[in-house]
Amino acid sequence: MRFKTLVLIIAILSVSFVTVSPAISVSAETRIRCASTTSTQNSGLFDYILPIFKKQTGITVDVVAVGTGAAIEIGKRGDADVVFVHARQLELKAVKEGYFVNRHDVMYNDFVIIGPPGDPAGIKGLKSAAVAFKKIAEGGYTFVSRGDRSGTNIKELAIWKKAGVNPKDRKWYLEVGQGMEKTERIASEKRAYTLTDRGTWLATMDKDRLDMAILLQGDPALFNQYGVMAVNPARHKHVKYKEAMKFVNWLISKKGQKIIASYKRKGEELFFPDAK
Amino acid sequence: MALVLKIEDLWKAYPGSDVLRGCNVSFDRRGVYVLTGPNGSGKSTFLRLCALLEEPDRGNINYLNDGLSLGKDIALKRRITLVLPKAGIFNSSVFGNMAYGLKVRGVKKSEIAERVDRCLESFGLADKRKQNALTLSSGEGQRLSMARAMVTEPEMLFLDEPTASVDHKNSSFIEELIFRMKEREGPTVVMTTHDVAQAGRLADDQLTIRQGRIIPLRRPGK
Amino acid sequence: MHYLIQAFGHAFSIIFSLDPVLLRIILLSLKVSGWALIISTVLGLPLGAVIALKRMRAKGLMISVMNTMMGLPPVVVGLFLYLVLSRSGPMGFMGLLYTPGAMIAAQTVLALPIVAALSHSAIVNVDPIISQAARTLGATQFQTTVTVVREARYGIMSALIAGFGRVMAEVGAILIVGGNIAGYTRVMTTTIALETDKGNFELALALGIVLLFISMIINLALYMMQKKGDRWRLS
Repeated sequence: MRFKTLVLIIAILSVSFVTVSPAISVSAETRIRCASTTSTQNSGLFDYILPIFKKQTGITVDVVAVGTGAAIEIGKRGDADVVFVHARQLELKAVKEGYFVNRHDVMYNDFVIIGPPGDPAGIKGLKSAAVAFKKIAEGGYTFVSRGDRSGTNIKELAIWKKAGVNPKDRKWYLEVGQGMEKTERIASEKRAYTLTDRGTWLATMDKDRLDMAILLQGDPALFNQYGVMAVNPARHKHVKYKEAMKFVNWLISKKGQKIIASYKRKGEELFFPDAK
Repeated sequence: MALVLKIEDLWKAYPGSDVLRGCNVSFDRRGVYVLTGPNGSGKSTFLRLCALLEEPDRGNINYLNDGLSLGKDIALKRRITLVLPKAGIFNSSVFGNMAYGLKVRGVKKSEIAERVDRCLESFGLADKRKQNALTLSSGEGQRLSMARAMVTEPEMLFLDEPTASVDHKNSSFIEELIFRMKEREGPTVVMTTHDVAQAGRLADDQLTIRQGRIIPLRRPGK
Repeated sequence: MHYLIQAFGHAFSIIFSLDPVLLRIILLSLKVSGWALIISTVLGLPLGAVIALKRMRAKGLMISVMNTMMGLPPVVVGLFLYLVLSRSGPMGFMGLLYTPGAMIAAQTVLALPIVAALSHSAIVNVDPIISQAARTLGATQFQTTVTVVREARYGIMSALIAGFGRVMAEVGAILIVGGNIAGYTRVMTTTIALETDKGNFELALALGIVLLFISMIINLALYMMQKKGDRWRLS
């Protein structure tokens, strides 16, 4: 090929990329970045509420969905304007360390223990998640763990601790390091138990053809609190604090709370607003 | 006066063998100089040094114009050329190969076309103009190789075994060309050959290499 | 098996429905990978040529480094760039993280060694007689280099196709530095990963087929241009 031809092709490509490109010319509109968790994103909540928020305020919220641990880390480094996760203790700790300000409870849902419908470990009917975990451990039934420092994983480890069991390196304990939905699928394939949030479970049980059932729910220890907090502008000068606070305040406002409550999957409410 | 080449005390060694050991020679008249000698005697090396493709270990290669010594810059290199024994044809059309030397000199497009076409005609390659040059026969390739050197109108032309790998027909054609160059006051030609009869037919001056030195053989007609 | 059939059906409906969301994702993929390839070519081709043609010390070392970089795990590249581009990192002031620009940077890091190393080997394999012939015909050092590079054009084209293939198929690095933000940094591969995560296997597979399809069109186009370029040259 001729060099001139090559140069011409490159020039044409460049021009077409720049002109056709949808994304590069968006700097004029207001965008904030929200670090959140995969479970929140996969539940479909953001797809539901963010367009409404944009309509009312003109602010686009870009969601980076990672594990809770990574989301908080991204916020700490100043790579997000607002963090929306579900690990109350970690959140409060990070606020205390000065990384975040204005943390608010937004909503909750709950975790449930799911497993094979036949329930080989016999945990159905138990009231305490810790007792159920102990039974699973004693029987050596397979348990699939997220193993990714996500909010769910942190909750799960807290329950193991309460049960007095250290599951690490046990043959029946599988740390898969995957998102919630994949973890559910792996558990289903392996006829294993796992801990999941109700939102993901409801959103995925049919779609993924999971051969699983809820075996334990309602233990107060399985309560799953979601919180939102803004990155401390004193620490990271570049963050869009004003817009971030608009988002935070909208989430905890009457209007925002009502919209969260109105998000339903299969007729069931997924998140229960509880901002004070 | 034309371009003159004076060589003094030229040495060149490759790992394992001394090839040239103190060559002294001048190419100071228009005409055809033919260098003979056995394989491996250093003929090719000598031409490559003359054409400034390589640096000597020792000694001087002096190009002079009207007695003035010239620097070995690109301007000088564009007044001389070497036709290599292996054709070194570019992967493009016959025309593209022919135009190359003129293109790098920044000659205008219309002039390139005119000069190339004229040259292709005289080398009997006009009908191959658009063909990919790599598909030519070896004889045609050698002709193209000479043609694309000649189209640049060199003042000094080095030919390394121009007829070594071609058939009889092409060999006669190339000899004919060299004769015509003499008649038309063409460039000074310095060529190598292992064909003694050919050397006799073409040479104004015959030289040979013995033990790394250049020795004149005879001057026909003088 | 019915998954596959459904996926093919889905793939065609995606292509022909021209859904604006998916179209945007496809265009962004092309834009990011296209820019990465252009930058890699502008930097990598001269680099490969210089290493191939210049006499220099530590040449063997440079070639080894290039070849090693070809096998860089994308996740490592992504993580490294994340730390560099993060607001708390050395280049944080640019605000490039989670933008298409960061994704272009990541893919450039991945494509550059491929373009450079494969161009280098294409250029090294050009018969040395070519550069000698160019010099005897009066080419300057630079013109000689251009001639040799041009003789290697088929190999260089393969290098570009290989580089483009790697970045188009890549997901690990752009997921980390792009963040897979809907409508902003979401490209085909990260969409495929996300939809797989979400259990939308048919959609994920359909997108995979679309990706393959696009790659094929691009490769065919490059091939045709090469052919056509040669025809022009011969006329």
